[in-house]
Amino acid sequence: MVQFFSDVLIRTVDLALIAVGLSCVYSLIRFPNIALVQYAVAGSFLALLLQGAGLPLPVAGLLACLLVGGLAVLLNVTVFERLLASGSAIAMVGSLAVTMILSAVFLVVFGPDSRRFDLDSHPVIRVLDARLTVHQLTAVGLTAGAVIVLALLLFRTTLGRSMRATATNRVLAAATGIDARLITNTVVFLSGVLAALGGIGLALKGEMNIQLGMDVLLPVFAAAILGGLGNALGAVAGAVIIATAETLVTNVNLGPLVGEPLLFLPASYATAMSFLILVAALLVRPHGLFVNEVKRV
Amino acid sequence: MISSIKKISFTLAMTLLCGTYVSSAQAEPVSIGAVIPLSGASATIGADQLRGIEIATEEVNAKGGVLGQPLKVIVEDSGGRPPSALDAARKLVTVNNVPLVIGEYSSGNTLPIGQYLVQQKRIHLNPASTSGLLRDLGEGHFSLVGLDHVTTKFAADDIMAQGWRKAVIIAPNNAFGQGVIEQFTKHFKAAGGQVLASIAYPEGQTTYRRELQQLAQAKPDVFVYSAYSREGAVINREASELGLNETPWYGYLLSMSTADSDPKTKQGQYGLEVNYIGPNGGAYQDAYKKKYGEDFRTTWNGYTYDAVKIAAAAINKAGSTDPAAIGAALKELGKGYEGATGQITFDANRMRDSQPYLKMKVDNGKLVLR
Repeated sequence: MVQFFSDVLIRTVDLALIAVGLSCVYSLIRFPNIALVQYAVAGSFLALLLQGAGLPLPVAGLLACLLVGGLAVLLNVTVFERLLASGSAIAMVGSLAVTMILSAVFLVVFGPDSRRFDLDSHPVIRVLDARLTVHQLTAVGLTAGAVIVLALLLFRTTLGRSMRATATNRVLAAATGIDARLITNTVVFLSGVLAALGGIGLALKGEMNIQLGMDVLLPVFAAAILGGLGNALGAVAGAVIIATAETLVTNVNLGPLVGEPLLFLPASYATAMSFLILVAALLVRPHGLFVNEVKRV
Repeated sequence: MISSIKKISFTLAMTLLCGTYVSSAQAEPVSIGAVIPLSGASATIGADQLRGIEIATEEVNAKGGVLGQPLKVIVEDSGGRPPSALDAARKLVTVNNVPLVIGEYSSGNTLPIGQYLVQQKRIHLNPASTSGLLRDLGEGHFSLVGLDHVTTKFAADDIMAQGWRKAVIIAPNNAFGQGVIEQFTKHFKAAGGQVLASIAYPEGQTTYRRELQQLAQAKPDVFVYSAYSREGAVINREASELGLNETPWYGYLLSMSTADSDPKTKQGQYGLEVNYIGPNGGAYQDAYKKKYGEDFRTTWNGYTYDAVKIAAAAINKAGSTDPAAIGAALKELGKGYEGATGQITFDANRMRDSQPYLKMKVDNGKLVLR
């Protein structure tokens, strides 16, 4: 049982930060930026490159996050802002195009093979009957830390108030002297940093390859929508639900139901589960599970 | 003045022309092709396959080449994926017009390129793949390694001999892996054992944690697995993180499954391996050590070495580069060819009909006989 919860926790950590980034940026720019999952790939590979250049991993990771944040702002100013002028659907399709371009760039620059950070082997820690590695726990800590910092930023600082004001009513916020464009780009930067950190967390626990982003695209979207797009902390709850569903589907023995000792669904059905939840959420609660101050497109 | 310039340029032009003509007549090499995984999950093995090719080519050329010309092996990277493997084979046939292609490593890639080459009426030499489906590829295809029905029987008996009765098995979800799972299950049951669960894992993932947790719930006596080396590294690492390495592990093709694994995560694993060095392989083993300054990295270099050598012998025997003539010569040679990997004899379907295996285990990161 403890193993089940730890599996859910680890999967939540896989998804949470990218989903939070997606949700956060949605509240201001009103389109779900698909390219965010590629920022996660960029983050993990940049950290790997910087580590390879001789930096200690924490420094390499931090630098990679900042660089990816910069990339997010650059793409926002040069591509998405312009596309958004023609509508959010067009911007979303544009972000899909950027995703594909980034895929091709990654293939050329990093190659198709899986890589790992240069880390010590994984010492295993026993927590009751569950086993966790130090790197898994580090990823959990990083994610929890990032979410707490983000919550404090949103609800305890002037910047956070300005962000929420701009998200709720852009015109009114501008009238009170808030620079909406600056605020938007700050949030875009933050979303890039969160996605990169999410990617580094993913890579920390195992391997990274250039498919890493596309692999989590669906569950991340499902988590963000379930949490109510635009509701940053709701995305965390969404990630918990998706992770629980995925783990249930793959780890529960269905054998007794059909009179066999062991029967499992293939692990790749986990993705189908997030698809199912996504469709159900859009049908039943299209604004997410929680009351949402941001109106959807 | 002008005439002397004309004279000089005429002489120059003639010299150049003659030079080109002479050199092209001297060094028009006889080309054959090879498609091996130089990148992707099996890149470590592909690099080792290349070593076998290099040593064989040097030896053939040191002894006068083929048909009086130097032998050239045009090596293409398969990327470890069927589409790029097929592209590579197509390039070798349409651009280089080679009569014979050696390749690939994984059955999932060997099958499509074999089908293509047979259809193009070229000769295909399989230096590594063991899927039973290769048997049906047709005229033009030759396998230099024993196929999976022989190997899995050996594995099943070996595992029973260790006293392990309840097994679970995981192998790649492709022609190779499905063949292994199906054949192993059949032979293990026949030997009196029980296969509690089997999983064909999707290739190229960054984690197999879920698959491993499913298998663990069966509480087996032994985990039987076969994996391409990078994926094997992930499986072994995650298995040891989950504590599953406290149960015995048996690697089907142990060097392939463990080549990229962290020594700590594969310590003590049992497994089988194709015999990579025959009674006459000593000279080859020495040549390998001398050229690369280390022992065999995997067991697969000897098979590409034999492939190049037998191809060169067949072209010489045929006296031409016509694929049909080479095929006929190969059948003749295949009545008892002494390769570095042992004696190679083909059955009626041009498959190697006897294949010695080795019982091995991993000790301090190295494969040793047990």
